[in-house]
Amino acid sequence: MVKKQAFLLLAVVGSLLSTSAAFAAEGEPVLQLAREVRTKGWIVYAARSAENKTWDLYLMRPDGSQRRNITNTPDYEEGGPRFSNDGERLLYRRFPKGTTIHHDLWGFQGRLVIAAADGSNPVEVGGDKEFPWASWSPDGKQIACLTMKGIQIVDLETKAVVRKLPRKGTYQQLFWSPDGQWFCGVANARIMWTVVRMHAETGKLNIVQEFQSCTPDWCPDSQHIIYPSRPAGQKGYGFTQLWMSEGEGKNPQMIYGEDGYHIYGGALSPDGQYVLFTRCGEDGGGSERDGAPICVMRMADAPAVAGPSPDLRRVHPHANEPTVLQLVEGWEPCWTYTEIGVK
Amino acid sequence: MRHHVTCICVLSSVLSVLGISCAKKADTGADPQVTSLGSVEVTAELLEIPGEIRNDPMYDYAHVMKYKVLTVHRGSVDTDVIYVGQYNPAKSRAAAADARAGDIGGNLQQFRVGDIHRLALEVPIDDYYMGGIINKYFGQTEDPVYWALWTNLVVQ
Repeated sequence: MVKKQAFLLLAVVGSLLSTSAAFAAEGEPVLQLAREVRTKGWIVYAARSAENKTWDLYLMRPDGSQRRNITNTPDYEEGGPRFSNDGERLLYRRFPKGTTIHHDLWGFQGRLVIAAADGSNPVEVGGDKEFPWASWSPDGKQIACLTMKGIQIVDLETKAVVRKLPRKGTYQQLFWSPDGQWFCGVANARIMWTVVRMHAETGKLNIVQEFQSCTPDWCPDSQHIIYPSRPAGQKGYGFTQLWMSEGEGKNPQMIYGEDGYHIYGGALSPDGQYVLFTRCGEDGGGSERDGAPICVMRMADAPAVAGPSPDLRRVHPHANEPTVLQLVEGWEPCWTYTEIGVK
Repeated sequence: MRHHVTCICVLSSVLSVLGISCAKKADTGADPQVTSLGSVEVTAELLEIPGEIRNDPMYDYAHVMKYKVLTVHRGSVDTDVIYVGQYNPAKSRAAAADARAGDIGGNLQQFRVGDIHRLALEVPIDDYYMGGIINKYFGQTEDPVYWALWTNLVVQ
């Protein structure tokens, strides 16, 4: 009898946990979150166009409204959009139609394009595979590129390399901090798949997070780095969770995890109050297929565990139940609070 | 009894002949690629594959292996032992090239400790390859890691 009651209790708890994941775009907490973020700027992201079937770039309000295709190029694939710090421009990569966008190689693939933030006036900068992993400088006048020969700072007006740094084992996903003081990236340090931070002037490198960690991005304060990580000790292959650490590598904290899903595309809102991520059933973030649902969560809910996730809850027993606003399917979202004139 | 001994002798002779004919033909591993690619060419014995060779279709990587240099054919190698990064070593060399590492190849089917390889190499690996590296020798040696462009099996 006790066993039966325990089973019923478990079933009810499981059902509640499942429901509280709140991934359906309904329920008052989710609606409240949607209202809260609706007027907070714009999210740019890549997604497959229903019309032309290629990857295009889209803008939407952070609640998913006012979605519009800003490239609409049936003859190209586009991905990896990043707003400049002032939110006035976008850089992204354009690939030949039919290109499989590789989740680890996309920064080496295709051509760099710079456009206005609403997608207008796109200009190809350089040729195929040039300016790999281009990342905005704080003032938008330069880009940092990650090449085999090292990190190159390129003046956008002249296209001249104005400064070089050794890459020190960094091999993908280089991003320049908003304050211009640092780079983050993925490197072979003591082991591969290590998120590292490098001083932009001295080139001094420190480990942020080792082991199965990648795709880092800067928090707006330039002091913290957000990154997906697939920790050891999980059953089988395990699942990728979203984590954040101080730039020195101290105080790693799980932001969001959910057994059954790999969490990628972590990016903070410009005020650091909200976090964007994608949740994908398969590892890698989904760029080789159709992306994955883009989600918005309050940072105040972190650390958060969603869904039943019994294994993850054992590791993080004090994690919060998050309110998550699930938007459309996409890849590598980026958020600006700048009003960029999209009607 | 005599008939029995005769049969054994005949069988032994036949097996001996078959054994000779089935033995692998000696092969120096030389081919147009291994003798021209890269700046270094060696014949070397594979001494160690530290850790397990991963076969993960989601992620590509180079695995650093330890070789004993037997002959230097081209370039300069200052040490008897070298460390060589082999790209996606779970794959045969002919199937290993991809978008990240497009210029690699060879006739080697499988990496086995004790085998002798003819290798076309570049050094250091970071000048020729950008990707994950499994290097179990990290912190144990300051020697450079070579990048294997072409790997052929040598049969002695």
